[in-house]
Amino acid sequence: MSENSPDSSGKIGYVVLGATKAEGGTRTVSFRLGGESDLPFIGMNTGQGSIPLVAFEICDDPEYWSPIVTSYTGDLSNDAREWAGVAEKQYGADIIRLYLTSTKRRGFDNFSSITTVMEEVLSGTGLPLVVEGSNEPAIDSDVFQRCGEAGEGERLLLGTAEAGRYRSVAAAALAYHHSVLAQSPIDINLAKQLNILLREIGVKADHIMIDPYTGTLGYGFEYSYSVMERIRSAALKGDTDLAMPMITSATDSLSVKEVREADPAALEDIAVEWEFYAALSSAIAGSSVVCVRHPKTVPLLKSAFRELWAGKMPGEA
Amino acid sequence: MALKALDIYKLLPKKNCKECGDPTCLTFAMKLASGKGDLEKCPYLDPGAKNILGASTRPPIQLVKIGVGERRFAVGEEFVLFRHEKTFYHPPGIMFEVSDLWSGKEIEAVTRRVGSEHYVRVGTDLTFSGVAIRNESGDPDQFAEAVGVVEATGTHVPEVLMAHDPAVQEAGLKKCGNFRPLIYSATIDSYKPLCALAKKFGSPLVVSAKDLLSLGELTKLCNAEGINDLLLDLSFPSLREYIPAATEVRQKSILRSAPELGYPVFLDTTRYPMQDAALILGIDKYAGVIVTRALSPASSVAALTLRQNIYTDPQKPIQMNPGIYPVGNPGKESPVLLTVNFSLTYFTVQGYLESSRVPCYMFIVDTEGLSVLTAVAAGKLNEALVRDSIKKFDLEHLVSHRRLIIPGYASPLSGKIEEETGWKVLVGPRDAAEIGDYLAKEWKS
Amino acid sequence: MPTVTFLPSYRKITVDAGSTVLDAIQRAQIQMNVVCGGQGKCGKCVVFIKNGSVEFDREKFGRFFTAEELAQGACLACEAVIGDDLHVLIPESSLIQQQKILMESLGIETVFSPSVWKYYVELSPPTLEDPSPDLTRLVWGIQKQGGPLAEKMYAPLDVLRWMPRVLRDSGWRVTATLALVPGGFRIIDLEKGDTRSEIYGVAIDLGTTTVVAYIRSLADGRIVGIASNYNRQISCGEDILSRVNYARKNGLPKLQALAAESINLAITTAANGAGIDREDIYEVVVAGNTIMTHILLGIDPAYMIEEPYVPVVRRYLTTAAPRLGIEVAQDASVFIFPAVSDFIGGDIIADVLASGMGEKDEISLLVDIGTNFEVVLGNREWMFSCAGAAGPALEGGEVLFGMRANPGAIERISIDPITLEPEFQTINSVKPVGICGSGLIDLLADLLRACVVDRTGRINTGIIHPRVRQGDHFPEYVIAWKTETGNNKDIVITENDIKNLIMSKASILAACITLMKQAGITRNELSAIYFSGAFGNYINKENAIMIGLIPEVAIDHIRNIGNGAVEGANMALINRKKRKTLDEIAKNIAYIELNAEPSFMDEYTGSSFLPHTDLALFPRVEKMLDECRLKKIPVGVP
Repeated sequence: MSENSPDSSGKIGYVVLGATKAEGGTRTVSFRLGGESDLPFIGMNTGQGSIPLVAFEICDDPEYWSPIVTSYTGDLSNDAREWAGVAEKQYGADIIRLYLTSTKRRGFDNFSSITTVMEEVLSGTGLPLVVEGSNEPAIDSDVFQRCGEAGEGERLLLGTAEAGRYRSVAAAALAYHHSVLAQSPIDINLAKQLNILLREIGVKADHIMIDPYTGTLGYGFEYSYSVMERIRSAALKGDTDLAMPMITSATDSLSVKEVREADPAALEDIAVEWEFYAALSSAIAGSSVVCVRHPKTVPLLKSAFRELWAGKMPGEA
Repeated sequence: MALKALDIYKLLPKKNCKECGDPTCLTFAMKLASGKGDLEKCPYLDPGAKNILGASTRPPIQLVKIGVGERRFAVGEEFVLFRHEKTFYHPPGIMFEVSDLWSGKEIEAVTRRVGSEHYVRVGTDLTFSGVAIRNESGDPDQFAEAVGVVEATGTHVPEVLMAHDPAVQEAGLKKCGNFRPLIYSATIDSYKPLCALAKKFGSPLVVSAKDLLSLGELTKLCNAEGINDLLLDLSFPSLREYIPAATEVRQKSILRSAPELGYPVFLDTTRYPMQDAALILGIDKYAGVIVTRALSPASSVAALTLRQNIYTDPQKPIQMNPGIYPVGNPGKESPVLLTVNFSLTYFTVQGYLESSRVPCYMFIVDTEGLSVLTAVAAGKLNEALVRDSIKKFDLEHLVSHRRLIIPGYASPLSGKIEEETGWKVLVGPRDAAEIGDYLAKEWKS
Repeated sequence: MPTVTFLPSYRKITVDAGSTVLDAIQRAQIQMNVVCGGQGKCGKCVVFIKNGSVEFDREKFGRFFTAEELAQGACLACEAVIGDDLHVLIPESSLIQQQKILMESLGIETVFSPSVWKYYVELSPPTLEDPSPDLTRLVWGIQKQGGPLAEKMYAPLDVLRWMPRVLRDSGWRVTATLALVPGGFRIIDLEKGDTRSEIYGVAIDLGTTTVVAYIRSLADGRIVGIASNYNRQISCGEDILSRVNYARKNGLPKLQALAAESINLAITTAANGAGIDREDIYEVVVAGNTIMTHILLGIDPAYMIEEPYVPVVRRYLTTAAPRLGIEVAQDASVFIFPAVSDFIGGDIIADVLASGMGEKDEISLLVDIGTNFEVVLGNREWMFSCAGAAGPALEGGEVLFGMRANPGAIERISIDPITLEPEFQTINSVKPVGICGSGLIDLLADLLRACVVDRTGRINTGIIHPRVRQGDHFPEYVIAWKTETGNNKDIVITENDIKNLIMSKASILAACITLMKQAGITRNELSAIYFSGAFGNYINKENAIMIGLIPEVAIDHIRNIGNGAVEGANMALINRKKRKTLDEIAKNIAYIELNAEPSFMDEYTGSSFLPHTDLALFPRVEKMLDECRLKKIPVGVP
């Protein structure tokens, strides 16, 4: 990665997630992310930037979900609508990130079910939504089309765009005015490359969030941490192709050996701490949205951010 | 700001005299630039140049040693704001708090825990660093007694003596002053007697003040008293002040714009409602010594792992030992997947292989910790290495087939590997996440 | 006189009746494969008589053919005698498949200052009054002719042994050959009469694949003969590593002998072509990579491919030709280029010499591309170098229809950005059978311009066009339909081919940028980029920059030095003063081990993009691409 213009006049660009009724959607709240012109948790008093947000991750087919979570939630995880509501009202999440894990089933072709799930989750919560589409390039186009359409007007964050498959998700985002979650594998160059590719097919910078990919603690977290710091620094130095807010999720937190093989009595604590340490450090490295899967991690992170944040709160003028 | 090899070269005598042990001035300059050379080895350097070069290679943050013996540690001597710029050298000491109000048993239990608790991760033993003994009784004798309990455990772990009253400090130091405990803490009102104690016992000293400006003033005063082994207490009333302050200290010291702030940072997390959050901040952002209440088992392993992660040399990837690693219970017909000994690659691939539930062998070859992409580009991963590794690890006797799955990014080598080894090469996916699908579709034993 | 028409080209030539078909073929300058030299022994010069008839002994040579072939008029060109007009079909298999090997000079002037000379002297015979010894007479005679001081000259024993005979048989009119050696001048030959014009030297590029020899007159410096052939060591392994492995298994003597044999073959071919006697070649200059040099010297190269990668010698060496088995004048010496490291060998020092970059104040970058690549950055004061594996993609390997620069290879191609129709040119203008390195670079650049591929090289399968399609394994672009090709297949480039190509180019660009960063040099400070190696001569410079093979500089700052190794060897041959600078160059070049360079991986991923992730490094390309995209949008969105 080479130096960009030496001046440090750069600023993280804005991305808006969610749309309230006044904004043409049905969300009860929307967030404007970005705007920072300094390192994370510095210069908060200038009125710029926003407190990091916590997204809670749910799915529409819990078979593909960590048993640590499903044993905690019980039947709740079988009902995405309900689950989304509980995440908002009980866990206190800021954002819901929905994984359409049902599309992982071999030979999945029930595309109308996607529309149904989308409608359910949208009705179950008033929070802005991040939607993770398919895992199979062959059905990308259909899946993203359905997600995009069902969420029209809601300013979703649609994921995941990768260097090898970004056209379908970008097409759906462009058609229905959503933003794109651009994920690259722990490399500042690859993150920038993907943003350039998206820009060149018409996705505007204020509709992109960077997911630099987060390996959890002990499993490459240090690489992710440094890539986030590098992305933030490059953006502050004026590299506009990297000046988007970041979203991170150490999704493997619940599946690594330390957590999976922990003493059953301590398992939940370890799972929560593992998520908490990785997520808070990600925010310290520059992530605007951190995503977690264990319900108990959400309030911990929310209090930590409140304790660290000295700037404006969402909704404040 | 680090100088480039060429900038350094221009300041060297360009005699190519070889007296420094390098063949030319240019190669010597390259060593200096990478921090591996010793400026003193050049006998012909003129004083002006020496000044410039010396200033750019002298550590901008004081190195402070705490404790003696096996468990002692050092903090400070850092050069960069971000670990990716070079590396962070000295991980913070995490000290468990005990109080002189506690029973001897309680104090002993925490001390013994610090002495023996350890976790092994990627071949490294991770431990907590020491014990912070807090004077809450206000009584010198009680404090001395608590220190005595810690000493009596024979764990020899480094100590922080947390007592503001110089008389109490002295009582404690009398018990353990020979072991370089960290003295906490000197304020504008107490610095003189505490400096005298620090001097007497050869101990490092924490200084506390309301803001960075006052801290800087205070370090200058301590310097005047002959004390240079200092730490800056950044445990301000609100945790939100920590990151801005610690960042400013690091920034100003590495730019050498405020030498009075060129000291490691001290953080007492026990004063904040969210101790774990404060601990994370300290680990991520520049702390040298962190005091916490004894951590829960869950926080313990997370904290030590985070500290190990942040203080890993980003320019020197952690390596796995080359060899053959079984996943599940593989047999003679199980697939063999070749990959490199970059630890991140190993862990990532291993994770996906485990979840694929296909028993197999991971065949790890020595690319000196380079990732697949780089190892191929730099020629480190090549057919000769594969051939030699097959022989070395006796792969031919381990499995009855002769099929080798190589990473997608190594596809350019497939032909050469086949030629060199006689094994049939199958090119796997580029992305480890696809490995399960790949095995399900492509591997028929 | 009968007219012979050759098929498939329809070239016509008139010959005397009674000539053989081979005579006619050679007069028509068609490169026929004649292994036995036209004695009817090898059976390689097969032709088919399509019209008319020839005198040909079918009984005697029938063993070379099947009955079916004989029925189609097969015969051996060397044994077929022409009586009347003929149509002769020459099958492709009978033609020599010649690789394009670069032998062009630099257009740089250098001082003519050889290190061997001939002096013709007419001496007075000894008498009773003047009884001074033969050698004294000779050296004084040479000094009087303007040669070196008499006391600086000496003669080795074998020359002394012939001396009395040669002097007396020639009537005291002889030509002496003098070579500059440490401490004086050695008389290395003595011939009867005036042979001053017969003094030659040879410059050799000893490559892993190819050996090139230039014979020059050392009387005036001009080139008199050039030849090249494959390195015969290929029989012991294609690439350098397999040669070292072969050497390890007690194969060093054989490899050494093959190296000498390959050099001898090139020298003999060049000498024969020029009509000169090998015995008149008095000096040999060899530039080769470090391993080739070691092998030629018979030094074990094994320790160079193991850590810590140490070569045995690094300085230049001079030795006697017979000791290496090089067959030239008995007392000729061989000068061997020095090396920097295992990877930066004499060939690269020769590149640097040929480019002149080590003599300038301005900073230049030199890139030598083959299967491996080497990069040198610097000026007269300092130089950094590095080397790495480029992978074979740029030489046509690892690419489905990739090939070397042989006949039928597409060497230039352009694509209409609107219609996506290609227009190409093949080597020898025959039907295409594949695509070589220069064509691949053109192709990639134009696919990018036409927005058929994105900057990561992925083909936009959303484009609806017959040439853009999903292949068996990867998306692909059809370059030529099978009806237009020479192998009856659609010639395509696949997404995977492009990936391999990008990996190759990324290694090279990343190496360039790594050196530039190490030195703190920006692209604006580069006064020139030199391409060395056959490759450089054929590529389109603009396209090389478009895809980011090298840093962006003004086009007229890019120069090809051709085969820099042989050019450098030539320079050292005709200008001995250059040799002194070689050790200096070698010493001045600091070698940077890319493996040990933590930033290399970063630079590599940054460079794995077209042209580079940091678009600011390629401002001209960016402007061009912006214009291209303006024409294309909204093609990108399916």
